[in-house]
Amino acid sequence: MSRSARIPNLGGARAFVLHRPHATVQAITRQLSAIGLEAVECWPQLPAEALAADFVFFDADLGFDEQFPWQPGEAPMPLVALIGSEAPGRIEWALSQKADAQLLKPVGNAGVYSALLIARQSFEAGKRLADEIASLRQRVGERQTIVRAVAALSKGSDDDRAYAQLRSLAMSWQISVEEAARRIVAMTENEDGGDQSHRA
Amino acid sequence: MKRRIQIGVLYSRSGSYQLVSDACRTGAMRAIADINADRSCGIELVPVERDPQSNADRYASLCEDIFRTSSARHVIGCITSWSRKETIPVLEKAGGMLWYACPYEGFEANEHVVYMHACPNQHLVPLMAHVAPRFGANGFLLGSNYIWGWEMNRVARDLIADAAGKVLGERYLRIGETDVSRLIDEIRATRPNFILNNLIGTSSYAFLAAYRDLGRENAAFKADACPVISCNLTEGELPAIGETGRGHLSAGPYFAPRPAAFASSFEASAYASVQVMADVLSGDPDAGPAAFSKAFAGRRFTTRLGSIAIDPHTQHATLPVIIGRIADGFFEVVSREEEVAPDPYLSRYDPAKTFGRPRLRVVS
Repeated sequence: MSRSARIPNLGGARAFVLHRPHATVQAITRQLSAIGLEAVECWPQLPAEALAADFVFFDADLGFDEQFPWQPGEAPMPLVALIGSEAPGRIEWALSQKADAQLLKPVGNAGVYSALLIARQSFEAGKRLADEIASLRQRVGERQTIVRAVAALSKGSDDDRAYAQLRSLAMSWQISVEEAARRIVAMTENEDGGDQSHRA
Repeated sequence: MKRRIQIGVLYSRSGSYQLVSDACRTGAMRAIADINADRSCGIELVPVERDPQSNADRYASLCEDIFRTSSARHVIGCITSWSRKETIPVLEKAGGMLWYACPYEGFEANEHVVYMHACPNQHLVPLMAHVAPRFGANGFLLGSNYIWGWEMNRVARDLIADAAGKVLGERYLRIGETDVSRLIDEIRATRPNFILNNLIGTSSYAFLAAYRDLGRENAAFKADACPVISCNLTEGELPAIGETGRGHLSAGPYFAPRPAAFASSFEASAYASVQVMADVLSGDPDAGPAAFSKAFAGRRFTTRLGSIAIDPHTQHATLPVIIGRIADGFFEVVSREEEVAPDPYLSRYDPAKTFGRPRLRVVS
Protein backbone atom coordinates (compact mmCIF):
# COMPACT_ATOMS: atom_id res chain seq x y z
CA MET A 1 0.00 0.00 0.00
CA SER A 2 1.36 3.41 -0.82
CA ARG A 3 0.59 6.56 1.10
CA SER A 4 -0.33 9.64 -0.84
CA ALA A 5 2.30 11.83 0.79
CA ARG A 6 5.88 11.05 1.77
CA ILE A 7 8.76 13.22 2.75
CA PRO A 8 10.83 12.56 -0.39
CA ASN A 9 13.89 10.76 0.78
CA LEU A 10 16.57 12.15 -1.51
CA GLY A 11 19.34 12.79 1.03
CA GLY A 12 22.61 11.09 0.14
CA ALA A 13 21.39 10.01 -3.30
CA ARG A 14 23.94 10.21 -6.16
CA ALA A 15 23.20 11.91 -9.44
CA PHE A 16 25.48 11.80 -12.51
CA VAL A 17 25.31 14.79 -14.84
CA LEU A 18 26.41 13.81 -18.33
CA HIS A 19 27.05 17.15 -19.99
CA ARG A 20 30.10 18.99 -21.29
CA PRO A 21 31.50 21.56 -18.79
CA HIS A 22 29.00 24.43 -18.93
CA ALA A 23 27.06 26.91 -16.77
CA THR A 24 24.10 24.52 -17.03
CA VAL A 25 26.06 21.88 -15.14
CA GLN A 26 26.87 24.38 -12.38
CA ALA A 27 23.21 25.38 -12.09
CA ILE A 28 22.14 21.73 -11.82
CA THR A 29 24.91 20.85 -9.37
CA ARG A 30 24.01 23.80 -7.18
CA GLN A 31 20.38 22.74 -7.00
CA LEU A 32 21.29 19.08 -6.41
CA SER A 33 23.57 19.89 -3.49
CA ALA A 34 20.98 22.26 -2.00
CA ILE A 35 18.47 19.39 -2.11
CA GLY A 36 20.99 17.10 -0.43
CA LEU A 37 22.24 14.95 -3.31
CA GLU A 38 25.80 14.25 -4.33
CA ALA A 39 26.43 15.40 -7.91
CA VAL A 40 29.05 13.83 -10.18
CA GLU A 41 29.89 15.59 -13.44
CA CYS A 42 31.08 13.59 -16.41
CA TRP A 43 31.65 13.99 -20.15
CA PRO A 44 31.78 12.51 -22.72
CA GLN A 45 31.05 9.11 -21.14
CA LEU A 46 29.29 7.76 -18.12
CA PRO A 47 31.85 5.81 -16.08
CA ALA A 48 31.09 2.26 -14.94
CA GLU A 49 30.18 3.41 -11.44
CA ALA A 50 27.26 5.34 -12.94
CA LEU A 51 25.49 1.96 -13.01
CA ALA A 52 25.01 2.41 -9.26
CA ALA A 53 23.73 5.99 -9.56
CA ASP A 54 20.29 6.97 -8.26
CA PHE A 55 19.67 9.46 -11.09
CA VAL A 56 21.32 10.35 -14.39
CA PHE A 57 20.91 13.72 -16.13
CA PHE A 58 22.01 13.58 -19.76
CA ASP A 59 22.48 16.15 -22.52
CA ALA A 60 19.99 15.70 -25.32
CA ASP A 61 21.77 18.22 -27.58
CA LEU A 62 25.11 16.44 -28.07
CA GLY A 63 24.37 13.00 -26.65
CA PHE A 64 24.84 9.65 -28.45
CA ASP A 65 24.11 6.00 -27.59
CA GLU A 66 27.71 4.98 -26.87
CA GLN A 67 27.91 7.32 -23.87
CA PHE A 68 25.84 4.96 -21.76
CA PRO A 69 26.96 1.64 -20.26
CA TRP A 70 23.56 0.14 -21.15
CA GLN A 71 21.40 -0.40 -24.23
CA PRO A 72 19.18 2.54 -25.30
CA GLY A 73 16.01 2.55 -23.19
CA GLU A 74 17.35 0.10 -20.59
CA ALA A 75 18.76 2.47 -17.97
CA PRO A 76 18.59 0.92 -14.51
CA MET A 77 17.77 4.29 -12.89
CA PRO A 78 15.57 7.36 -13.58
CA LEU A 79 16.87 9.53 -16.43
CA VAL A 80 16.40 13.28 -16.89
CA ALA A 81 16.94 14.69 -20.39
CA LEU A 82 18.55 18.14 -20.60
CA ILE A 83 16.97 19.68 -23.67
CA GLY A 84 18.36 22.83 -25.26
CA SER A 85 17.66 22.58 -28.97
CA GLU A 86 14.16 21.37 -29.72
CA ALA A 87 15.25 19.89 -33.06
CA PRO A 88 12.96 16.92 -33.72
CA GLY A 89 15.90 14.58 -34.30
CA ARG A 90 17.32 15.37 -30.89
CA ILE A 91 13.98 14.92 -29.16
CA GLU A 92 13.57 11.61 -30.98
CA TRP A 93 16.99 10.50 -29.72
CA ALA A 94 16.18 11.57 -26.14
CA LEU A 95 12.94 9.59 -26.38
CA SER A 96 14.87 6.51 -27.52
CA GLN A 97 16.74 6.70 -24.23
CA LYS A 98 13.37 6.63 -22.45
CA ALA A 99 13.97 9.74 -20.33
CA ASP A 100 11.63 9.81 -17.32
CA ALA A 101 11.62 13.61 -17.05
CA GLN A 102 13.08 16.62 -18.80
CA LEU A 103 14.67 19.92 -17.92
CA LEU A 104 14.89 22.76 -20.43
CA LYS A 105 18.20 24.55 -20.85
CA PRO A 106 19.32 27.09 -19.82
CA VAL A 107 18.70 25.82 -16.29
CA GLY A 108 18.05 28.60 -13.79
CA ASN A 109 17.35 28.48 -10.08
CA ALA A 110 14.62 25.87 -10.11
CA GLY A 111 13.37 22.81 -11.89
CA VAL A 112 15.71 20.12 -10.61
CA TYR A 113 13.57 19.16 -7.61
CA SER A 114 10.41 18.58 -9.63
CA ALA A 115 12.43 16.76 -12.32
CA LEU A 116 13.83 14.40 -9.66
CA LEU A 117 10.42 13.59 -8.21
CA ILE A 118 8.71 13.19 -11.59
CA ALA A 119 11.58 11.06 -12.97
CA ARG A 120 11.58 8.78 -9.95
CA GLN A 121 7.84 8.27 -9.98
CA SER A 122 7.66 7.63 -13.70
CA PHE A 123 10.67 5.27 -13.59
CA GLU A 124 9.13 3.27 -10.77
CA ALA A 125 5.76 3.13 -12.49
CA GLY A 126 7.49 1.90 -15.68
CA LYS A 127 9.39 -0.73 -13.73
CA ARG A 128 6.25 -1.98 -11.98
CA LEU A 129 4.48 -2.21 -15.31
CA ALA A 130 7.38 -4.09 -16.93
CA ASP A 131 7.46 -6.57 -14.03
CA GLU A 132 3.74 -7.10 -14.30
CA ILE A 133 3.93 -7.64 -18.07
CA ALA A 134 6.79 -10.12 -17.63
CA SER A 135 4.80 -12.13 -15.10
CA LEU A 136 1.67 -12.04 -17.27
CA ARG A 137 3.73 -13.18 -20.27
CA GLN A 138 5.07 -16.04 -18.26
CA ARG A 139 1.57 -17.04 -17.23
CA VAL A 140 0.34 -16.88 -20.80
CA GLY A 141 3.30 -19.09 -21.77
CA GLU A 142 2.08 -21.68 -19.25
CA ARG A 143 -1.26 -22.18 -20.99
CA GLN A 144 -0.11 -25.46 -22.48
CA THR A 145 1.07 -26.73 -19.10
CA ILE A 146 -2.40 -26.03 -17.68
CA VAL A 147 -4.04 -27.95 -20.52
CA ARG A 148 -1.77 -30.88 -19.84
CA ALA A 149 -2.39 -30.77 -16.07
CA VAL A 150 -6.18 -30.64 -16.54
CA ALA A 151 -5.97 -33.57 -18.94
CA ALA A 152 -3.89 -35.55 -16.45
CA LEU A 153 -6.34 -34.86 -13.61
CA SER A 154 -9.52 -35.53 -15.59
CA LYS A 155 -8.24 -38.73 -17.12
CA GLY A 156 -10.50 -37.93 -20.03
CA SER A 157 -13.76 -37.44 -18.10
CA ASP A 158 -14.89 -34.07 -16.62
CA ASP A 159 -12.56 -31.18 -17.59
CA ASP A 160 -14.48 -28.63 -15.49
CA ARG A 161 -14.09 -30.67 -12.36
CA ALA A 162 -10.41 -31.28 -13.15
CA TYR A 163 -9.82 -27.54 -13.55
CA ALA A 164 -11.59 -26.88 -10.23
CA GLN A 165 -9.38 -29.52 -8.64
CA LEU A 166 -6.27 -27.85 -10.08
CA ARG A 167 -7.33 -24.52 -8.64
CA SER A 168 -8.02 -25.93 -5.21
CA LEU A 169 -4.64 -27.72 -5.24
CA ALA A 170 -2.95 -24.41 -6.13
CA MET A 171 -4.77 -22.76 -3.27
CA SER A 172 -3.86 -25.38 -0.73
CA TRP A 173 -0.22 -25.38 -1.88
CA GLN A 174 -0.37 -21.55 -1.83
CA ILE A 175 1.12 -21.22 -5.30
CA SER A 176 -0.18 -19.95 -8.63
CA VAL A 177 -2.36 -22.16 -10.84
CA GLU A 178 0.43 -22.22 -13.42
CA GLU A 179 2.95 -23.46 -10.90
CA ALA A 180 0.53 -26.10 -9.59
CA ALA A 181 -0.02 -27.23 -13.17
CA ARG A 182 3.76 -27.58 -13.63
CA ARG A 183 3.97 -29.72 -10.51
CA ILE A 184 1.10 -31.96 -11.59
CA VAL A 185 2.56 -32.41 -15.05
CA ALA A 186 5.93 -33.30 -13.51
CA MET A 187 4.31 -35.72 -11.04
CA THR A 188 2.20 -37.49 -13.63
CA GLU A 189 5.20 -37.80 -15.92
CA ASN A 190 7.16 -39.44 -13.09
CA GLU A 191 4.28 -41.68 -12.01
CA ASP A 192 3.25 -42.72 -15.44
CA GLY A 193 6.72 -43.46 -16.65
CA GLY A 194 6.23 -45.52 -19.80
CA ASP A 195 2.58 -46.21 -18.95
CA GLN A 196 1.01 -43.89 -21.53
CA SER A 197 -1.74 -46.28 -22.56
CA HIS A 198 -4.27 -45.05 -19.93
CA ARG A 199 -4.19 -41.54 -21.32
CA ALA A 200 -6.97 -40.51 -23.56
CA MET B 1 32.10 60.18 4.77
CA LYS B 2 29.87 57.11 4.62
CA ARG B 3 28.99 55.60 1.29
CA ARG B 4 25.21 55.64 0.75
CA ILE B 5 23.59 52.38 -0.35
CA GLN B 6 19.89 52.11 -1.09
CA ILE B 7 18.06 48.97 0.07
CA GLY B 8 14.46 47.98 -0.56
CA VAL B 9 11.99 47.47 2.30
CA LEU B 10 8.87 45.57 1.24
CA TYR B 11 6.56 45.09 4.21
CA SER B 12 2.81 45.63 4.33
CA ARG B 13 1.65 48.39 6.65
CA SER B 14 -1.93 47.14 6.85
CA GLY B 15 -3.94 43.93 6.40
CA SER B 16 -4.68 40.68 8.19
CA TYR B 17 -1.07 39.78 9.10
CA GLN B 18 -0.01 43.31 9.95
CA LEU B 19 1.38 42.50 13.42
CA VAL B 20 3.97 40.14 11.92
CA SER B 21 4.75 42.58 9.14
CA ASP B 22 5.24 45.38 11.66
CA ALA B 23 7.59 43.23 13.73
CA CYS B 24 9.82 42.53 10.72
CA ARG B 25 9.76 46.15 9.60
CA THR B 26 10.69 47.34 13.09
CA GLY B 27 13.67 44.97 13.14
CA ALA B 28 14.85 46.09 9.71
CA MET B 29 14.44 49.80 10.48
CA ARG B 30 16.19 49.49 13.84
CA ALA B 31 19.14 47.74 12.20
CA ILE B 32 19.33 50.40 9.49
CA ALA B 33 19.31 53.16 12.12
CA ASP B 34 21.97 51.42 14.22
CA ILE B 35 24.26 50.82 11.22
CA ASN B 36 23.88 54.43 10.09
CA ALA B 37 24.71 55.67 13.60
CA ASP B 38 27.79 53.47 13.80
CA ARG B 39 30.76 55.65 12.81
CA SER B 40 33.05 52.66 12.37
CA CYS B 41 30.84 51.28 9.61
CA GLY B 42 31.69 52.71 6.18
CA ILE B 43 28.19 52.62 4.72
CA GLU B 44 24.89 54.36 5.22
CA LEU B 45 21.79 52.36 4.32
CA VAL B 46 18.97 54.31 2.70
CA PRO B 47 15.63 52.49 2.85
CA VAL B 48 13.43 52.56 -0.26
CA GLU B 49 10.06 51.54 1.12
CA ARG B 50 6.97 50.16 -0.62
CA ASP B 51 3.72 48.99 1.00
CA PRO B 52 1.92 46.06 -0.68
CA GLN B 53 -0.98 46.39 1.82
CA SER B 54 -1.11 42.60 2.37
CA ASN B 55 -2.10 42.06 -1.26
CA ALA B 56 -0.07 39.12 -2.65
CA ASP B 57 -0.37 40.45 -6.19
CA ARG B 58 1.34 43.74 -5.34
CA TYR B 59 4.66 42.35 -4.07
CA ALA B 60 6.17 41.51 -7.46
CA SER B 61 5.22 44.83 -9.07
CA LEU B 62 6.42 46.88 -6.09
CA CYS B 63 9.69 44.93 -5.95
CA GLU B 64 10.10 45.70 -9.66
CA ASP B 65 9.36 49.33 -8.86
CA ILE B 66 12.14 49.39 -6.24
CA PHE B 67 14.63 48.01 -8.77
CA ARG B 68 13.47 50.41 -11.48
CA THR B 69 13.38 53.62 -9.50
CA SER B 70 16.36 53.18 -7.19
CA SER B 71 19.83 51.67 -7.17
CA ALA B 72 18.77 49.12 -4.52
CA ARG B 73 19.63 45.49 -5.35
CA HIS B 74 18.84 44.08 -1.91
CA VAL B 75 15.31 43.92 -0.57
CA ILE B 76 14.23 42.91 2.89
CA GLY B 77 10.62 41.92 2.93
CA CYS B 78 7.73 39.52 2.29
CA ILE B 79 5.84 37.71 5.03
CA THR B 80 3.82 35.02 3.29
CA SER B 81 5.41 32.35 1.11
CA TRP B 82 2.89 33.32 -1.51
CA SER B 83 4.39 36.81 -1.76
CA ARG B 84 7.95 35.45 -1.68
CA LYS B 85 7.25 33.11 -4.58
CA GLU B 86 5.60 35.98 -6.52
CA THR B 87 8.70 38.12 -6.01
CA ILE B 88 11.34 35.56 -7.05
CA PRO B 89 11.00 36.02 -10.87
CA VAL B 90 11.54 39.76 -10.42
CA LEU B 91 14.66 39.13 -8.32
CA GLU B 92 16.04 36.72 -10.92
CA LYS B 93 15.47 39.18 -13.72
CA ALA B 94 17.09 42.08 -11.89
CA GLY B 95 19.91 40.10 -10.26
CA GLY B 96 18.56 41.22 -6.88
CA MET B 97 18.42 39.50 -3.50
CA LEU B 98 15.57 39.07 -1.06
CA TRP B 99 16.27 38.82 2.66
CA TYR B 100 13.43 36.77 4.06
CA ALA B 101 12.98 36.97 7.83
CA CYS B 102 10.01 34.63 8.39
CA PRO B 103 9.64 30.94 9.10
CA TYR B 104 8.51 29.07 5.99
CA GLU B 105 7.54 25.59 4.81
CA GLY B 106 10.88 24.61 3.19
CA PHE B 107 11.52 22.89 -0.15
CA GLU B 108 13.07 25.96 -1.74
CA ALA B 109 16.67 27.17 -2.09
CA ASN B 110 16.83 30.05 -4.52
CA GLU B 111 20.16 31.80 -4.90
CA HIS B 112 18.37 35.15 -4.95
CA VAL B 113 16.89 34.60 -1.49
CA VAL B 114 18.58 34.43 1.92
CA TYR B 115 16.38 32.49 4.33
CA MET B 116 17.01 33.99 7.76
CA HIS B 117 14.27 32.32 9.82
CA ALA B 118 13.47 28.66 10.47
CA CYS B 119 12.58 25.93 7.94
CA PRO B 120 10.79 22.63 8.87
CA ASN B 121 13.78 20.79 10.37
CA GLN B 122 14.16 23.87 12.60
CA HIS B 123 10.51 24.21 13.60
CA LEU B 124 7.95 21.51 12.72
CA VAL B 125 10.11 18.40 13.10
CA PRO B 126 11.49 19.26 16.58
CA LEU B 127 8.07 20.53 17.68
CA MET B 128 6.39 17.25 16.68
CA ALA B 129 9.22 15.28 18.30
CA HIS B 130 8.50 17.19 21.51
CA VAL B 131 4.72 16.87 21.40
CA ALA B 132 4.14 13.25 20.25
CA PRO B 133 5.65 11.47 23.28
CA ARG B 134 4.12 13.93 25.78
CA PHE B 135 0.58 14.43 24.48
CA GLY B 136 0.09 11.69 21.89
CA ALA B 137 0.54 11.55 18.15
CA ASN B 138 -3.05 12.02 16.90
CA GLY B 139 -3.31 15.47 15.41
CA PHE B 140 -5.84 17.83 13.89
CA LEU B 141 -4.30 20.03 11.17
CA LEU B 142 -5.39 23.61 10.47
CA GLY B 143 -4.17 26.12 7.95
CA SER B 144 -4.92 29.29 6.07
CA ASN B 145 -5.68 28.41 2.49
CA TYR B 146 -2.33 29.01 0.78
CA ILE B 147 1.04 27.36 0.43
CA TRP B 148 2.28 27.66 4.04
CA GLY B 149 -0.64 25.70 5.48
CA TRP B 150 -0.79 23.18 2.63
CA GLU B 151 2.90 22.29 2.71
CA MET B 152 3.26 22.37 6.50
CA ASN B 153 0.31 20.04 6.88
CA ARG B 154 1.66 17.76 4.17
CA VAL B 155 4.92 17.35 6.11
CA ALA B 156 2.91 17.00 9.34
CA ARG B 157 0.88 14.12 7.87
CA ASP B 158 4.10 12.21 7.29
CA LEU B 159 5.52 13.07 10.69
CA ILE B 160 2.31 11.96 12.41
CA ALA B 161 2.38 8.64 10.53
CA ASP B 162 6.04 8.15 11.50
CA ALA B 163 5.10 8.80 15.13
CA ALA B 164 2.43 6.05 14.78
CA GLY B 165 -0.39 8.58 15.10
CA LYS B 166 -3.42 9.49 13.02
CA VAL B 167 -4.53 12.66 11.26
CA LEU B 168 -8.02 13.20 12.66
CA GLY B 169 -8.86 16.15 10.43
CA GLU B 170 -7.41 18.76 8.12
CA ARG B 171 -9.18 22.06 7.51
CA TYR B 172 -8.34 25.29 5.71
CA LEU B 173 -9.76 28.80 6.06
CA ARG B 174 -9.49 31.68 3.62
CA ILE B 175 -6.92 34.26 4.82
CA GLY B 176 -8.81 36.68 7.07
CA GLU B 177 -11.77 34.29 7.71
CA THR B 178 -12.86 34.37 11.35
CA ASP B 179 -15.79 31.92 11.40
CA VAL B 180 -14.19 28.94 13.12
CA SER B 181 -17.29 27.21 14.50
CA ARG B 182 -17.03 24.24 12.16
CA LEU B 183 -13.40 23.63 13.10
CA ILE B 184 -14.32 23.65 16.76
CA ASP B 185 -17.19 21.19 16.17
CA GLU B 186 -14.89 18.80 14.36
CA ILE B 187 -12.19 19.02 17.00
CA ARG B 188 -14.77 18.40 19.70
CA ALA B 189 -15.97 15.33 17.82
CA THR B 190 -12.58 13.83 16.90
CA ARG B 191 -10.71 14.35 20.19
CA PRO B 192 -7.13 14.87 18.91
CA ASN B 193 -4.04 14.89 21.15
CA PHE B 194 -2.87 18.20 19.68
CA ILE B 195 -3.83 20.77 17.05
CA LEU B 196 -1.29 22.02 14.54
CA ASN B 197 -2.20 25.64 13.85
CA ASN B 198 -1.06 26.99 10.48
CA LEU B 199 -3.74 29.64 10.43
CA ILE B 200 -2.34 33.14 10.15
CA GLY B 201 -3.38 36.52 11.53
CA THR B 202 -7.00 37.17 12.42
CA SER B 203 -8.11 33.57 11.62
CA SER B 204 -5.59 32.27 14.13
CA TYR B 205 -6.73 34.72 16.83
CA ALA B 206 -10.37 33.78 16.27
CA PHE B 207 -9.55 30.09 16.50
CA LEU B 208 -7.55 30.43 19.73
CA ALA B 209 -10.39 32.37 21.36
CA ALA B 210 -12.98 29.76 20.36
CA TYR B 211 -10.70 26.92 21.44
CA ARG B 212 -10.26 28.53 24.87
CA ASP B 213 -14.07 28.42 25.22
CA LEU B 214 -14.07 24.76 24.18
CA GLY B 215 -11.52 24.08 26.94
CA ARG B 216 -13.82 25.71 29.47
CA GLU B 217 -16.63 23.46 28.32
CA ASN B 218 -14.48 20.32 28.43
CA ALA B 219 -11.12 20.00 30.23
CA ALA B 220 -9.88 17.54 27.57
CA PHE B 221 -9.37 20.61 25.40
CA LYS B 222 -7.35 22.67 27.84
CA ALA B 223 -3.80 23.58 26.79
CA ASP B 224 -2.16 21.14 29.21
CA ALA B 225 -4.18 18.23 27.77
CA CYS B 226 -4.46 19.08 24.07
CA PRO B 227 -2.19 21.98 23.11
CA VAL B 228 -2.39 24.12 20.00
CA ILE B 229 1.07 24.03 18.45
CA SER B 230 2.45 26.56 15.93
CA CYS B 231 5.62 27.28 14.05
CA ASN B 232 5.01 30.96 13.42
CA LEU B 233 3.45 32.29 16.60
CA THR B 234 5.59 34.89 18.40
CA GLU B 235 5.38 37.59 21.05
CA GLY B 236 4.34 40.06 18.35
CA GLU B 237 0.89 38.48 18.25
CA LEU B 238 0.40 37.93 21.97
CA PRO B 239 -1.39 41.28 22.43
CA ALA B 240 -3.99 40.15 19.87
CA ILE B 241 -4.31 36.71 21.44
CA GLY B 242 -4.28 37.76 25.06
CA GLU B 243 -5.34 35.19 27.64
CA THR B 244 -6.57 32.73 25.00
CA GLY B 245 -3.05 31.62 24.08
CA ARG B 246 -1.92 30.63 27.55
CA GLY B 247 -0.25 27.20 27.74
CA HIS B 248 -0.04 26.59 24.02
CA LEU B 249 3.27 25.83 22.30
CA SER B 250 5.32 27.41 19.55
CA ALA B 251 8.72 26.67 18.01
CA GLY B 252 11.13 29.36 16.85
CA PRO B 253 14.75 30.47 16.83
CA TYR B 254 14.26 33.19 19.46
CA PHE B 255 11.85 33.96 22.24
CA ALA B 256 12.27 37.28 23.98
CA PRO B 257 13.88 37.08 27.40
CA ARG B 258 12.81 39.73 29.91
CA PRO B 259 14.09 42.38 29.42
CA ALA B 260 14.56 41.67 25.75
CA ALA B 261 16.67 43.15 22.97
CA PHE B 262 13.96 42.25 20.47
CA ALA B 263 10.24 41.82 20.91
CA SER B 264 10.01 38.70 18.74
CA SER B 265 11.94 36.33 16.46
CA PHE B 266 10.55 38.19 13.42
CA GLU B 267 12.10 41.42 14.65
CA ALA B 268 15.34 39.70 15.66
CA SER B 269 15.66 37.88 12.34
CA ALA B 270 14.98 41.02 10.28
CA TYR B 271 17.56 42.90 12.36
CA ALA B 272 20.15 40.15 11.84
CA SER B 273 19.35 40.08 8.10
CA VAL B 274 20.25 43.75 7.71
CA GLN B 275 23.38 43.21 9.80
CA VAL B 276 24.64 40.38 7.57
CA MET B 277 23.73 42.33 4.44
CA ALA B 278 25.57 45.45 5.69
CA ASP B 279 28.57 43.41 6.79
CA VAL B 280 29.18 42.18 3.23
CA LEU B 281 28.14 45.43 1.52
CA SER B 282 30.55 47.49 3.64
CA GLY B 283 33.41 45.48 2.11
CA ASP B 284 31.95 45.38 -1.40
CA PRO B 285 29.08 47.85 -1.98
CA ASP B 286 28.22 46.24 -5.33
CA ALA B 287 28.08 42.65 -4.00
CA GLY B 288 25.45 40.55 -5.77
CA PRO B 289 24.32 36.95 -5.25
CA ALA B 290 27.66 35.45 -6.30
CA ALA B 291 29.71 37.61 -3.89
CA PHE B 292 27.29 36.79 -1.05
CA SER B 293 27.49 33.11 -1.80
CA LYS B 294 31.27 33.34 -1.51
CA ALA B 295 31.02 35.25 1.76
CA PHE B 296 28.60 32.66 3.20
CA ALA B 297 31.02 29.86 2.35
CA GLY B 298 33.92 31.64 3.96
CA ARG B 299 32.78 32.81 7.35
CA ARG B 300 30.28 33.40 10.11
CA PHE B 301 28.63 36.73 10.91
CA THR B 302 28.41 38.54 14.18
CA THR B 303 24.84 39.65 14.76
CA ARG B 304 22.65 40.66 17.66
CA LEU B 305 21.31 37.07 17.52
CA GLY B 306 24.81 35.76 18.14
CA SER B 307 27.29 34.36 15.69
CA ILE B 308 25.40 33.19 12.59
CA ALA B 309 26.42 30.77 9.85
CA ILE B 310 24.61 30.71 6.50
CA ASP B 311 24.80 27.49 4.51
CA PRO B 312 26.21 28.49 1.09
CA HIS B 313 24.41 25.62 -0.67
CA THR B 314 20.91 26.53 0.47
CA GLN B 315 21.39 30.11 1.78
CA HIS B 316 19.50 29.18 4.92
CA ALA B 317 20.72 30.25 8.37
CA THR B 318 21.91 27.87 11.08
CA LEU B 319 19.66 28.69 14.03
CA PRO B 320 18.83 27.69 17.57
CA VAL B 321 15.60 25.70 17.96
CA ILE B 322 13.54 26.77 20.93
CA ILE B 323 10.17 25.46 22.01
CA GLY B 324 8.26 28.00 24.02
CA ARG B 325 5.04 27.86 26.03
CA ILE B 326 2.82 30.92 26.17
CA ALA B 327 2.78 32.34 29.68
CA ASP B 328 1.56 35.72 30.85
CA GLY B 329 2.48 37.90 27.89
CA PHE B 330 5.69 36.05 27.07
CA PHE B 331 7.00 32.59 26.14
CA GLU B 332 8.65 30.42 28.75
CA VAL B 333 11.36 28.26 27.26
CA VAL B 334 10.48 24.57 27.38
CA SER B 335 13.48 23.28 25.44
CA ARG B 336 16.40 24.72 23.57
CA GLU B 337 18.87 23.29 21.07
CA GLU B 338 21.76 25.41 19.74
CA GLU B 339 23.04 25.64 16.16
CA VAL B 340 20.67 23.44 14.19
CA ALA B 341 21.89 23.37 10.58
CA PRO B 342 19.19 24.00 7.97
CA ASP B 343 17.79 21.07 5.97
CA PRO B 344 15.12 22.73 3.80
CA TYR B 345 14.40 19.59 1.75
CA LEU B 346 14.37 17.34 4.85
CA SER B 347 17.05 15.27 3.12
CA ARG B 348 18.53 14.25 6.44
CA TYR B 349 15.22 13.57 8.20
CA ASP B 350 15.31 10.25 10.03
CA PRO B 351 12.02 9.02 11.57
CA ALA B 352 13.79 6.63 13.95
CA LYS B 353 15.98 9.40 15.34
CA THR B 354 13.08 11.86 15.55
CA PHE B 355 10.51 9.63 17.21
CA GLY B 356 12.69 6.95 18.83
CA ARG B 357 12.57 3.30 17.90
CA PRO B 358 9.84 2.61 15.36
CA ARG B 359 7.13 0.29 16.63
CA LEU B 360 7.36 -3.25 15.38
CA ARG B 361 4.65 -4.07 12.92
CA VAL B 362 3.28 -7.44 11.97
CA VAL B 363 4.29 -8.22 8.42
CA SER B 364 2.22 -10.81 6.67
